Order: sequence, then C-alpha cells, then structure tokens
Amino acid sequence: MNFLETLHRQQLATTRRQLFGRTALGLGTASMAGLLGDELSAAGTNASTLGGGLHHLPKAKRVIYLFMSGGPSQHDLWDYKPKLADMFGEQLPAEVRDGQRITGMTANQKSGLPLCPSKYKFTKHDNNQDGVWISELLPHTAKVARELCVVHSTFTEAINHDPAVTYIQTGSQIAGRPSLGAWLSYGLGSMNEDLPHYVVMHAHSKYAEQSLFNRLWGPGFLPADHQGMLLRSGGDPVLYLSNPPGVTSSDRRDQLDALAAINQEQHRHFGNPEILARIKQHEMAYRMQTSVPELMDFSSESESTFELYGEEARTPGTFAACCLNARRLAERGVRNIQIFHRGWDAHNRLPTEHESQCKDIDQGCAALVHDLRQRGMLDDTLVIWGGEFGRTVYCQGNLTRENYGRDHHPRCFTVWMAGGGVKAGITYGRTDDYGYNIVNADGSPMIPRPEKEHWTPGTMHIHDLNATILHLLGIDHRKLTYRYQGRDFRLTDVDGHVMHDLIA
Amino acid sequence: MTKNARRASRNRADEAVVRATLRGHGSIDRAGSDLLHRWPVCVYNSGMRTSNIVIVAVTSLILVDARAAEPTSAAIDFSREILPILSDKCFVCHGPDTDEDVTLRLDSYEAATSDLGGYRAIDPDDPASSELVLRILSEDDPMPPAEAEKQLTDAEKRLLAQWVAQGGEYSQHWAFIPPKKRLPALPDGGDTQATINPIDWFVAAKQRGRSIDFAPEAAPETLARRASLTLCGLPPGPEELAEFLRDRRADAYERYVDRLLNKSSFGEHQARHWLDAVRYGDTHGLHLDNRRGVYPYRDWVVSSLNANLPLDDFITWQLAGDLLPDPGVEQLVATGYVRMNPTSGEGGAIEAEYQAKNNFDRTENLGAVLLGMTLTCARCHTHKYDPVPQTEYYRLMAFFNSTSEPALDRNKYDYGPTTKAPSDQSQWARWRLLNDRLGQLIHAATDELSDAAVVADRNAWADATDREKLEALADPDSPFSSLSVHTEATLLSLELESLEQGFTTTLVAKDLPTPRPTHVLSRGEYNRPIGDPLEPGVLTAMGDFPEGAPRNRLGLAQWLTSPSHPTVARVLINRVWQHTFGHGLVRTPEDFGLQGAYPTHPDLLDWLAVELQESGWDLKHMLRMMVTSRTFRQSSAWREDVDDPENRLWSRGPSYRLDAEVIRDIGLWSGNLLDPMMGGEGVKPYQPAGMWQALAHPASNTKKYERDHGQRLYRRSLYVYWKRTSPHPMMTLFDAPDRETSCVRRSRTSTALQSLALLNETQRIEMARMLGQRLMLQRSDVSSRMDLLFRLLASRGPSQTEAEAFEELLQKMLQRYRGNVDDARALLSIGDIARDESLDPAEHAAWTQVALTLLASDLAIILY
Repeated sequence: MNFLETLHRQQLATTRRQLFGRTALGLGTASMAGLLGDELSAAGTNASTLGGGLHHLPKAKRVIYLFMSGGPSQHDLWDYKPKLADMFGEQLPAEVRDGQRITGMTANQKSGLPLCPSKYKFTKHDNNQDGVWISELLPHTAKVARELCVVHSTFTEAINHDPAVTYIQTGSQIAGRPSLGAWLSYGLGSMNEDLPHYVVMHAHSKYAEQSLFNRLWGPGFLPADHQGMLLRSGGDPVLYLSNPPGVTSSDRRDQLDALAAINQEQHRHFGNPEILARIKQHEMAYRMQTSVPELMDFSSESESTFELYGEEARTPGTFAACCLNARRLAERGVRNIQIFHRGWDAHNRLPTEHESQCKDIDQGCAALVHDLRQRGMLDDTLVIWGGEFGRTVYCQGNLTRENYGRDHHPRCFTVWMAGGGVKAGITYGRTDDYGYNIVNADGSPMIPRPEKEHWTPGTMHIHDLNATILHLLGIDHRKLTYRYQGRDFRLTDVDGHVMHDLIA
Repeated sequence: MTKNARRASRNRADEAVVRATLRGHGSIDRAGSDLLHRWPVCVYNSGMRTSNIVIVAVTSLILVDARAAEPTSAAIDFSREILPILSDKCFVCHGPDTDEDVTLRLDSYEAATSDLGGYRAIDPDDPASSELVLRILSEDDPMPPAEAEKQLTDAEKRLLAQWVAQGGEYSQHWAFIPPKKRLPALPDGGDTQATINPIDWFVAAKQRGRSIDFAPEAAPETLARRASLTLCGLPPGPEELAEFLRDRRADAYERYVDRLLNKSSFGEHQARHWLDAVRYGDTHGLHLDNRRGVYPYRDWVVSSLNANLPLDDFITWQLAGDLLPDPGVEQLVATGYVRMNPTSGEGGAIEAEYQAKNNFDRTENLGAVLLGMTLTCARCHTHKYDPVPQTEYYRLMAFFNSTSEPALDRNKYDYGPTTKAPSDQSQWARWRLLNDRLGQLIHAATDELSDAAVVADRNAWADATDREKLEALADPDSPFSSLSVHTEATLLSLELESLEQGFTTTLVAKDLPTPRPTHVLSRGEYNRPIGDPLEPGVLTAMGDFPEGAPRNRLGLAQWLTSPSHPTVARVLINRVWQHTFGHGLVRTPEDFGLQGAYPTHPDLLDWLAVELQESGWDLKHMLRMMVTSRTFRQSSAWREDVDDPENRLWSRGPSYRLDAEVIRDIGLWSGNLLDPMMGGEGVKPYQPAGMWQALAHPASNTKKYERDHGQRLYRRSLYVYWKRTSPHPMMTLFDAPDRETSCVRRSRTSTALQSLALLNETQRIEMARMLGQRLMLQRSDVSSRMDLLFRLLASRGPSQTEAEAFEELLQKMLQRYRGNVDDARALLSIGDIARDESLDPAEHAAWTQVALTLLASDLAIILY
C-alpha cells in the first residue's frame, strides 16, 4: 500500500471513529451513508442491507413534503362541522376554550369569539373506510381520496408563525436545530450522484404574507452539507449553476482539469484526504451543470402530463410546476423534496385568500399523488400535506356569512399523507362539534398533554408526525442523534410516538 | 417487588448461572485465576461470595469481546474516564435531576456509597459486592435497563468495574476546578528551558511519550502565509513576503508576527470569531426580520481587538458597560452584546412569552460563549448531566431580566434604549482624537483652576462630567470662560458637535429602576411561574459570587473575570487555540461540562488559561506565543510515521479550508479590489436576484435586496450585511452560521455547490478579471505572471507541474478566446468595474480564466 492509500484509509477510519464517537450506539455506519457517499455505505453497512433504511427496512424510499405555510383552515377544507351552521355568531363557550391561550390579535377583540361556520359545501367522498368529507375548495384532491390518510387530530403548542413553523420543521420552537430534511440527509444520504439529496422549492402564491427562513431547511448544528438545496424558479435553478457568459462547458472542463492537476499536486505534497474529497465535489458540480437543466426541462413531458397537472405546470414557480418537478426529482433518486407554499394565514378575508390558495395547490397535489401511483412510485414515496397549525372556529374581524377571518389555532388541525407505507383511504382522529378540541372516538373530551413519553391515542402531535416520517423511511427517531453541546439531540427532542395506527 | 426482594431473587437466579459456568470452566479457581490478571476487580474477591462469582462468570463473556482492548491495572482517572460514562449513560436517571422516586444518585461519592437498605451502589469496604457492578453485569436485571436508549459498551462496563475495584473514588469534574500552572518535566532540562516556548514543553512531553517528535518546520513562505491568514485573514503582500524572506536575523519570524499583530486587518479578522459566538446580525432575526441598528457594536469589537483591550474589560463592558461609573460611549456601545438576541415583533405574540424567550436566549448564550456550558436543559428541569439546578439557571437569568427594552421589537430599527455612536471607524478615530484633546483641555483647566486667582465654583467643577466642563469652558457667559482654554474649548465643542451629528444609533442595555421579579418557570413555560421571586445569582459549581459585588450584570461580570472562575479563561483560550490551530484543545468548544470532550492536553490548557489571566488578559500576547511556537511552525503535511489523523498530538501544523469570509477577501485583495474602509453599516455585494423576496414577509423592510455600487461592493466580508433569516449565499455556502444562535465552531464542508460558487459567482469572475489585469499590467511575460499569481495566492512560485498545468490552460484559453473575441468581451464585462480597454481582450479573458481557476484551487482556499 502506498502512502496515499494509507492516508486515505486513515481518513476513512477517522471519519468512522468520529461518527461512532458522536452518535449513539450503532448509528455510525448508517450516518456514514450520508457523509461518505454511497460507494462506502454499499460496502456492507446497514443502509445497504436495510434497503436504504437506517434502523429497519423502510416503507418509503423518499418523501415529498407539501408545506402550507401560514396555517390552512381545517374548518374550510377538511374538518366538517355541520352543527356550527346553526350557531353563526354565537360566542365560543368558555368550557370549550378551557383556558386556552389565544393570540394578542383576538384575545381582546370587541366582538369576542363569535363562532364562524364555513361557507363552503362539504361532500363525502369514498375512501377505504366510511368516506371522508372534503370541501368544494379541493375538487381535485377529492378525486384521490382513496389514497389519502387524513389526520384531523394533529396538534402543536405554538401559536405564532415563526415558532410554529420552526417547531414543525425542526422539532423546536427556538431557532438552531437541524431541519427535518437535514436529519434525513444526515441519516440516509443520497441515492443520486448527480443531484443533491435534499431539494427545496418555493411555490408562488398571491398572498405570500408570512416569512420563510433558511433555518426551515437549514442544517442547524449538523455539518452544513446537509442543508436543503433551493431549486429556484427564476434565474439559475441552483445558485451559481450556469457558467458565466463567454464560458462554455468545454472551457470549464479545461479549467477543472487544470484545477485537478493543481489539487492533486497539493495532495501529493500534504497528503490531506480532504483535498481528494474536494476534487470529487468539483466533478459533481460539473455533472450538475448537465443534470439540473435536464431536470428543469419539461419538453420531454407528454401532453397528458399537463392535462394532469394543469396548464399552470408549464409556468416555472407555480405550485403545479413544483409538483411536476417533485415527481421528476423523485424519479431521479432525490430522496427528500419539500415544496413551501405561503399565503395561508387568513386573518381577515379567508374566503378570497383560501379560494386563491386552493386553486394554486389543488390540482398539483392531486396530480402528484395520481402520477406517482400510475408510475408505480407511490408505494415507496411518502407525500405529506399540511401547515404549522390550524385556524380558529371563531372569527377574527368582521363576521358575515360571506366574509370572515380566522386566527391561529394550535389544538387541532388537519394533515394528510399518502403513499410511502401509510394506510390509504382512511381518516384518523376526531374533533368536537366546534372543531376546537380533539375528542375521543366516542366524542368525549380529551386534552392531550404531551409530557414525558406521553401519547394519547387518537392524537398526532407534530413530534409524532415527525417520528412517523422517520419511521417510514427506515429511521428510529430515538436513535438518529447528534452530539452537540454535550447532548445527543434528535428531531423529536424527548417526545415522539410512531403512529402505528396509520401505517399499512 | 421491593429492591431487596428483587435483589434476593436475582441472586438466586445468578446461582444457576454460576453453577452452569462452573461446569463449563471445570473449576472456579481456574476460571477465576484466568481472569484475575486481566481484570483486577477479582483481586478483592477473597470471600468469593455468590454474587462475586457471578461477576467472574458474566465477565468472561465480556472479555471475549473486550480482549482487543489492552487491560490495564493503572489507576483510573475518574474525571477523564469514568465521569463521562456515568454522565452519558447513568445520569439521565441517577444524576442531578433525579426523580423523587429514584433513591439512588450517582453524581457524588456520598450518594453512591450511601446505604440503600443493606447494600450500596458502591461499597468501598467490599467493592466486589457493589450493586453498581452487579447490575451493569447482570443479564436478567441489567442497568441501564434493556429498554434504555443508551447502553454501556463492554469496555465501559470493564472500566466502571475496575474503578469500583480501585475504591470508586470521585473527584470533581476537571473543568470546575480552577486552572493552575503545572509544567511538565522537560527531558532537555537546564538552560534550554528559558528559550523554549512553553506551549512546546507540553506538546513535546506528550509526543515523547509516544516516541515521536515535531514535524520539520514549514517552509518560510508557507509559514508567512499561515501566520498572516491566521492572524489577519489575508495572505502577505508580495512586498511583505519579500521583506520577511530577506530578513536574516534570528528573530525575523517574531518580528514578522509583531508586524501582523499591529495591522488593522488583525482586529477585523479576529472579530469575526467573536461575532459568530455572540450571534451578531443586522436584522431582528424573527418574523419580519427587519433591520436593526447595532453595527457600532461590531465596529467596537474590531477596534477593541486592535487596541488589545484586556479581555476581562472586553467581557465586562459587553455585559455591563452601562453599569460602570460614568460610562463612556465605548462602554455603552459594548452592551450591544446584551441586546444581540434575535427578537420578534409578530402581531399577536404574547409579551410575557417573549420576555422569557429573550432571557433564555441571553442566558444560554452566556453559557456557550463564556461558561462553556450548555444550559438549555436547566430551563425546564435540573440539568441531567452538569451540576446546574433549575433554580440556579433562573438566578442566572435574573441578571438579564431587568433590562428595560420591550420584549417585542415592534419591528423597529432602534427599539428600546439606544445611544448615539460613531458610525464607522474613521468617525471612531476622530472621536478618540477629540476626546484626547478634551482630556488634555480639562486637565489644563483644572490646573488653572487650582490657581486661586480664578474665581469659580470649584465644587460644581469637580462634580461635572467632562462634557459639562467643556460646555462651561466654551460658554462665554459662564464664569469659566475667563480661563485661557476658552477659545480652544469653543472650537473643540463645535468640532465634537459637528462630529456627533454624523453619529448613528445603536442598541444598548439599560436596567429598569426596579428589576422585574424572576421566578422558576415550570417546564420553562412563561405562564407557569413557581415559588418566590429569585435574587440574581451564579452557578455555584463554578465558584461563589464575589463578596460585595452588586447583584446586577456588573457583579456577574466580576464573577466571570475573577481569577478563581474555573471555566471562563479556559473557554476563551481554547477558542483562541482553535482559531489558530484548527481544532481546540477541547474539541467541544461549546461544552466543557461532563458531556464535553476531555482536553487533548489538559495541563497545557490550564497553563494557557492562567497565563491569559496573569498577562492581564492580553490576547495579543497569547496569540504571539501560539504562532511563534514550534507546534504552530511545523509542516502541515500528513506524516507516515504518526497515526494521528485528527492531529490530537499536534504533530503537524494546522491545515483546514479557510472560512467563507477569508476566501472572499483573498480574491478581492489579490485583484487589488479590497476597499480599506473600516466599519459602518453592512454592505451588500452582488447577490442573485430574488433571494430575499422569496422568503420575506411583504411588510418586511428587508424583503428586497438592493445591492450596493462602487466601493461598498469590495469591502471586507466582515462587513457584509447579515440578514439572519437569509445571510449572503457566498457566506452560508461556505459554512458561515446564520447568527440566529451562537456558533463557536463552524463546520467545514466540501460541496458541489461550493464549486459552482467559486467558479461562477459574479464577484469571483470580477476578482479574477482584476487579478488577470494586475498580472498583465505588472508583469510582462508568461512565467513572471504565473510567478506573481502563485506568489499572491500561495506565497510561493509554481512548481514545475503546476506551471505546466497552468500554462497549458492558458494556451487553451488564449486559442479559444482569440477565435471568439465576443466570448472574451462577454466574460470581461461581468462586474461593475469597466475592463481596462488597453488590454487585449482575448489575452485578458484567458488570464481571467487562469486566475479564476487558481482562486478556486486548494492552493488558495486552504490553510497549509
């Protein structure tokens, strides 16, 4: 073995040691997949023997997360409350509120907390149980009702956007933790040599009235290469992807050859294995300059694709185009895809805004689920739809039959999942007649208090959702940890329950 | 089942195991004696009671696996070897935060050896019957329980058992014992000691224990580049380099280092490390993430480091400058530290909730930055690992709970208390100059007043501030106007006034007249206070609050900077070491607690910590010592003769990928583009369109990135505008933190996105073009241009292989651009600065490509 090989091996050994050193028992091999690339993980580690999973055989190979930032109204989309129709304008009973803290926006409004039935018509659609109620705002989504696992009893503790979005995406209300996507990247690594393994898109919305933050796809304290790569709809789809004007691909090849010669010389002299790693990354960048434009070029898509996703899918940056892109990324082995759609924070004119929002997303969501199914990919692709919290049953601002607003509501909201090993065509969890509190199957009150390892059947805390996502991808949420500041952190903090009731 | 019943039942079961084991091993004596020399626990086993035999039996199973690890009968170091295991695997149930129904605690000797009803976890009189050992080895009733997330490894079980066998003694965690200087014996001895850098004593002592020596010294060119990048974040200029290489004096390198320490770029570079730690940003960080005015704080950090302000003052002013007697502008500006936490102005947010959140953030930042301790756990419950009771967390928090700014920022630039401060370094310099003049003037006036001939109210004079005195002297109607300095006072007063008109506002700390009451919050929830209000207080594991000190932030600062504080000096010097050598002596710079890493060289760390204090908290002194050490000056090439990939023996010089800011600054500097202006509001270099818009709230005043023009494009990266929810991509792509939370150790990744950025980003192309232009204008032939190019970026000329590779690239590019001058012009038109029309475009484009390539190479972006 020559000197270079010795060094290279030393480095690999080091990396292994570091991994074993800083992660919980038995995790090292797995996370190596993410840090050292497929080549190494294929050499007899867990990830390969577990079909891409980390701790157990995964149900899903990839995840597409459709995040509705701002908090969609479960009252107007999913959680049908016919009895409210007769309570228009009445005050929310105090015993229903039960001391719940409410935001400064409605805590002191003069009109109090007037009940606000949805103006939209709900229809029951067949699923694999006794049907699921879906409002007229989501006609396309309703057509894939048989694929959906609709959870009405999702809940959180946060009541403001910034902490709530940060909570559901990073497991903590305080900035600084790695995002869900970064954890998956860290745990699972890549299935593709030519594209990054974690891709984030921002879809256009007319009412994009909340902020997003880099931290939602950021690495937190994980190594920075686990951050999501933004796939942008304007300019370069990947930052700095294109060669500058006056530079061709062949020029770049020549440059990279000279660069490699210099770096190899540097490596010959210093023996630092990181130099070799960097040479590999320069080559991947070069391949991305071909693979990303090819990804973004929809010209090979058939007419039927655009019938399915809608004509809007031809316009970059629309939600439909992002969904089509998500499918194309999934086909290319990208594991971890997120679409952020803003504009769901309907405080004052919910009908106008939600109608527009639903029009943005409805066909794309349905098309994505349908398309994955027809391509045989839905079974191992987990699709998730949801926001950071729900909206209140009481009105914020002026209440009329035609126009109303709703404030933030953490105690229950609706999230759906499809494919990826979840039960198709079911609903889970119930809320009371006000859509205010989660109740037991018999309608009796239940207020979950997620202290210690507590989990209440029939509910899904956002930690439970995240634990379930990890589980479906072959990860035990309690074991995927990273030592930082003396503590082994994990996505679900000290909580999280895998929702076995939802898993097929 | 009670504990004793369970124990009895287990022992019955164990007997069966023992019998089975006896059959397997033939005779107990053989089984025992076979193990005795490998595992000293059995030495205590004279009685050979049932449970002891079980140990032997079960142990034999362990030893099969543990055979690889060399057994040792050497004395076990509790703090280094045992405490980390107890902390990581046991304290979650048996640590400082033990549930009431758990009777056993293992975080002190007294608790671990207490009588649990006829038996003890650790029985010093009969170690082999210690319940701790029985349970960790037990198969049917193990500890940790089978379902626990963290299990002991066999090696850990062996260590614990050995330790109990040796008496199970406890000692305090190393980091909580104040550091002392302890020099290792030097084999050379004698008068050579005086000439050896103390750092090298420690490093050599450990190296010699492993029969290795220092690596040879790096080439002088390499060393010059290394020292310059380490201290100032820029390579040496060709002239500086030549001067150093020409200098044949024995202390040429030391002189070179002194020159570096006196550059103003020193403070700019060193400040970045601090700004990462304290999470400096130009925006609020939450919700709208609007602009906030606090950049004078950043400039104050730079000038303090350049002026070598003692680090104890550096800390005190930041924590409590406003509480010092008659604080000046600098002391007030420094308190921007207290205001550095991200804030929100979200509609509907609850004030009390954010009051708590802001205080958590500040308390925990103090923990990470100065105490070297993660305190977050103690927000909700007594710390699981470290001796931080929940009450003490809230006592510490109470120091911050009395500041007067509102909890919600109202999305305002200057919310809460502010002060007027110089808006850039030239204003600071002028302000200092005028203040010196003011001092002299007051001095002269005071002298004159002591002359009885002048009739004025001397008492009023004595009580007045300097500025009030100046106004009195300048006022033609005041009795003081008769003094001879009247004219000068009038002039100075006008000059100060006119300077101050250009001042900006900056966020500062100020206490309420009556402090807010601070309570323990149940589970850290703002609306669940428990018990009586707490007096501000400190973490008792780190020493007592200084006697007579005020119970406010000033007292807190006095506690932190007192010579008996066990961690502050260690934590600071460890980070200085980390920024100099690439890794800390403690590899977890944010955590010196029980879960943190043990120092690679504990005595060296302690020596440096004490030296820092004894030197008067002199940062430049410490850095000078570090970069002139033999340890620093070694070649950084990996060694065939040393198996130490992580360089824990410090047997090669530092080498790592440079920080985002340094990579950008080198490019600007090499293209003669770097604007020397220091300080001022954050600058906005080129950035791809739409990046802020894609994230921002429509009401945010940072939703649109409007890039700068002119010189502001070319300022040092320290000054790049830091929008916390979306920092500049050329920073974050190269591992710069977002500054929403403290970062005392950046990751260093290599990614494909970095490659794209290095070769395609607008400013990189412009830098390369300007560098190409410089080469063409300053040198006339290819080889001397190549020489200058390499000399600028690598501080040396090219090797033959390098020259060949690059000349080949140059020829290819020349040919290609001569065949397509439009492409050449297109490339040369990137960036605001117009190209030099006197240069042949094809040739200029070719050199641009060559420069761009070398700028992206490991010759330019790595420290070696």
